[in-house]
Amino acid sequence: MPYNIAMVSDYFFPQPGGVESHIYQLSTKLIDRGHKVIIITHAYDGRTGVRYLTNGLKVYHVPFLVIYRASTFPTVFSFFPIFRNIVIREQIEIVHGHASLSSLCHEAILHARTMGLRTVFTDHSLFGFADAASILTNKLLKFTLSDVDHVICVSHTCKENTVLRASLDPLMVSVIPNAVVAENFRPRSHPSYPPSEFGDQMVPVQQHLGPHDTITIVVVSRLFYNKGTDLLVAAIPRILASHPHVRFIIAGSGPKAIDLEQMLERNVLQDRVEMLGPVRHEEVREVMVRGHIYLHPSLTEAFGTVIVEAASCGLYVVCTQVGGIPEVLPSHMTVFAKPEEDDLVAATGKAIAALRSNKVRTENFHDQVKKMYSWTDVAERTERVYDGISGVLSEADFYGYDAADAASWSATRGRAGVQSFALIDRLKRYYGCGIWAGKLFCLCVIIDYLIFMFLEFWAPRDEIDIARNWPKKSRVENSRRDHRTFKR
Amino acid sequence: MTPGTNGSTTGSSERVRHKDRTRSGSRRRKRTWKKLLWVKQSYPDNYTDQETFLEHLQRNPRLQPYDFWPLVADSTVIVQHVCSVIIFVVCFIGIFQDRVSPVAVVGWGSFATFLGWLLWDWWLGQEESTKPTTPPAFSSTPLAASASSSVSNLHHSNGNRHINGNGLLTKHSYSASSASLYSHSSNGYSTNGHASSASTPAPKFVPNHPSPHSSPLSHRTSLRLSTAKSALLIYFTLLGLSPILKSLTRSTSSDSIWTMSLGLFSINIFFFDYGSPPSRSSVGGGNKNIPASLSTNAALMASTVLASRLPSTGQVFSLTLFSIEVFGLFPVFRRYARQRSWRGHVTLTTLLVVGAGGGVGLILGHGGDGHGFWDWPWKSGLLGVVIGVLVTGLAMGGCSWWLIGLQKYKNEIHGPWDPARPIIRREDY
Repeated sequence: MPYNIAMVSDYFFPQPGGVESHIYQLSTKLIDRGHKVIIITHAYDGRTGVRYLTNGLKVYHVPFLVIYRASTFPTVFSFFPIFRNIVIREQIEIVHGHASLSSLCHEAILHARTMGLRTVFTDHSLFGFADAASILTNKLLKFTLSDVDHVICVSHTCKENTVLRASLDPLMVSVIPNAVVAENFRPRSHPSYPPSEFGDQMVPVQQHLGPHDTITIVVVSRLFYNKGTDLLVAAIPRILASHPHVRFIIAGSGPKAIDLEQMLERNVLQDRVEMLGPVRHEEVREVMVRGHIYLHPSLTEAFGTVIVEAASCGLYVVCTQVGGIPEVLPSHMTVFAKPEEDDLVAATGKAIAALRSNKVRTENFHDQVKKMYSWTDVAERTERVYDGISGVLSEADFYGYDAADAASWSATRGRAGVQSFALIDRLKRYYGCGIWAGKLFCLCVIIDYLIFMFLEFWAPRDEIDIARNWPKKSRVENSRRDHRTFKR
Repeated sequence: MTPGTNGSTTGSSERVRHKDRTRSGSRRRKRTWKKLLWVKQSYPDNYTDQETFLEHLQRNPRLQPYDFWPLVADSTVIVQHVCSVIIFVVCFIGIFQDRVSPVAVVGWGSFATFLGWLLWDWWLGQEESTKPTTPPAFSSTPLAASASSSVSNLHHSNGNRHINGNGLLTKHSYSASSASLYSHSSNGYSTNGHASSASTPAPKFVPNHPSPHSSPLSHRTSLRLSTAKSALLIYFTLLGLSPILKSLTRSTSSDSIWTMSLGLFSINIFFFDYGSPPSRSSVGGGNKNIPASLSTNAALMASTVLASRLPSTGQVFSLTLFSIEVFGLFPVFRRYARQRSWRGHVTLTTLLVVGAGGGVGLILGHGGDGHGFWDWPWKSGLLGVVIGVLVTGLAMGGCSWWLIGLQKYKNEIHGPWDPARPIIRREDY
């Protein structure tokens, strides 16, 4: 059954980034599956009003004050009138928010619940519990997620983190990984994909590396502290000193770039380390295919799409064992290191030795990664979440209850397997957030409800025009969809 | 297992999935759930594995429970500092109410500082004799010792004035505005050192750094000499500054001054660096031995505004000098003394508590006016000592006990989602 879905996030194109492309790819694939998807984000420079992207994906750029790194100012209620208008105009049934630092997404989830819509939240990042910023974010997340129908996390570590941060029932958190567009990340020798010969058998040729051939190590990362640039700065001179036929290519920019440059000057390594500066996402493949090993020294990572992209380009991956990274790639594609300088140097040495002995079949990586991660798969799994929260899947199917387990019916979930919209039930859920926070949140919800009542009176539903849908393609992929469908 | 084989079997196992998608159903399935994303598993996306979920969660991993007596012992540092602040305030009130002669206050203070410097010098000599390899170049000693000997020179060295240093510094300070005047005087013991090193042909920092092993005896002597010199500089600077300080806050009401000094002393107490430096070398550690500058500056500013309430130049001079001794030099000495001998530290704490309690008692009580047999002069002082010791003991014990009680609310959560701490070897290039 097709749904009308609104993706809400502060982060969307033209700004580049992982969340942005996730929303775009997921929306596109959901449209391909017959759903109607719109995207609501805030206005960017030169992007205001309504835009259509490829495939009839409609984007609403709502004018909002941006305070920090494309996040809007959290005003709790000011987004409601225009949000209600969009939702009614587009006949939205499911509101899907992205990214926990996006206040637009949190507000949208709150208003959507007030309006009686199903909500899903996707968490893309990991947060600690110690510093003040995290505590504040976690409290706000708890507020929003007290009354959400389902949460999607990009990795199992991310799920554990979100469950703890927002005090959620683990069963209402699904793990659906990111994916890569494999066509955009193919190895150097791989022919480009003409859609016609997609299924053709290509036998990739194995590259042989002699003992004196140059091995190039690629690093594509924003140069921030939490991306582990300090480790990189410490490790590069030692790796280069012990392996004479190794070169580095480093792409990316950030505040730590200066440390890297100082290291290069101090050790006179300019001819062995190439600094490319910032590269656009489309050009990442061109950088990656120049190398043999991808080095990823990050200190925290929810999923690490870039290592999947690197493996898809046929690179052997050396990465730190942090966050969700150990779940992402099979062991024959990666060498894991502890986030320590010595271990990173050792792991890189191991990877170089493995490549020199031609033990690693990097030419097969691309086809393997293509089978592991695809956006079509992500869209299918997301669709199952939508089915579950809409009541299409039975509660037992979706949440995994036995008939005998019916006694475990919890206060957080309605009897029909979906969250109840009654205001008193919602208030119960918010009240448990904390001694003071719970009362404050309840107040916010009541005010939100009053605003909703007022809006219903002030701008009645039947006076809002219904937007015409983008003409849909004929549902040719129905057959393809059926053999992997999750529902009955 | 390769992903290809997984993909082919997924379709068939998905048919089975609906029947036994339960929490405890993992035992019935052939394949166990794995915490991996690249494997297509026959489990729903919201499956929560009971065995592995949150298995890496750590609560309070670095919690070290406090013990009562070490906590009480550590709290002596705070007691010492609070007591020295109280003693200073008591001295100010004594001078302000004309109950104590300012010369007596500064004389005794300077005498104590001189004793402290002698002790310091002796400890230093001991250290040098035991550890001849470590270069005794640390920045705090000349500063501390210099100012301390400035006081020693109060008594006996009026004859040998250094005309050049005196002229330069007074000129410098007179040219300063009243705002920078404060900062100059508050940083007195450090800025003066720099000014003198810039002006005199033989800068006092020179003997510290190059080749301390060449002539150890002359090194010690030159250290003492430079100490005496900078002490003299501070002395004369203060003497020159006193008339200005006296008129600094004439247009401000006294109430504002009391409030301001209370706030500044609070800043001093709360921001004081109570931590003990790492004991890799007992004196060394460079700047570690100098307490936090915000705290010191606040205290010196407080004493400056307090001193500006006093009517005569001599009183202003005495109080400012005393404040430099109490807030500039005494913390350095206390810190060093704590490292050197624990017994001395405890004795010092006791003395300070007794002094502060007695001082407060004397100021608050009106004893000593000689009426009646029972009203002997030190009655209120003695009462103050008793109350002070009791209150201090109760506070130390009570706060320690309270802190230990609060430990049970500690709930730190750590797990794989925390940003890893990179372990990087100290770069040696």
